[in-house]
Amino acid sequence: MSAMPIEDVAIDVMTDRPWITLVWNDPINLMTYVTYVFQTYFGYDKPKAELLMLDVHEKGRAVVSSGTREEMERDVAAMHSYGLWATLQKDD
Amino acid sequence: MFKSGLGGKLTLKLDDAELGVLSQLFEQMAELLEHPESEAGADPLAKMLNMSGSTQISEDPALARLFPDGYSDDEHASADFRRFTEQDLRAQKLAALATVRVSLSDWTGKSSITAQQAQDWLKGLNDLRLVLGTRLEITDEVETDFGADEPGIHLYNYLTYLQGTLIDALT
Repeated sequence: MSAMPIEDVAIDVMTDRPWITLVWNDPINLMTYVTYVFQTYFGYDKPKAELLMLDVHEKGRAVVSSGTREEMERDVAAMHSYGLWATLQKDD
Repeated sequence: MFKSGLGGKLTLKLDDAELGVLSQLFEQMAELLEHPESEAGADPLAKMLNMSGSTQISEDPALARLFPDGYSDDEHASADFRRFTEQDLRAQKLAALATVRVSLSDWTGKSSITAQQAQDWLKGLNDLRLVLGTRLEITDEVETDFGADEPGIHLYNYLTYLQGTLIDALT
């Protein structure tokens, strides 16, 4: 079996996971809280959760998950239940 | 303040002043959530099918912050998302609030908090900070003076402190 060329793998990933959940920066949610939510809901380890939180804080937003549209709607609804400001969109 | 205790249990200690303030704030919060603008004239069939959710973001900035749009670039998709998720989200928030309010109304000075109750407290306190912070116009554009001698700022700082102790106890 031959290895798949890198470009094909990339296209595969994109067609499989064409939607993303974004979390936007806001001045009220505590940094420790946002990190805690990323760990608790997504199951990310602390370093990854902290990196994402810092991305949100410094760049204004970060992609926190990707998947099908239905999965992303579920993630966005969950983020809203924690009071995080999240939206989903097609990854293009 | 919240503290982590033996066997993963959390404890919450409040003095009378804190208890009074929190009870009042959570009661106001429940009122805000129990009277959504879209209730009047809701179609009973749509309600039965759990489809009577509103499609428009609230004009009240605090409610708009608690129930934001699901899509930043697609009004139609946002309306659909809201129609199918907002009622459920509201019910979840009210359920968390109910847990918190029961533990406050049965208060005996110091309280032991289960893991599930801790999650409800965490979300309830965060929603409260979002509403108060929005009312105080805490935004990225304007720098807020958190040292200002104003009742709203004192309350906000207290809620920030209390939520901080809960996150510390959980992590």
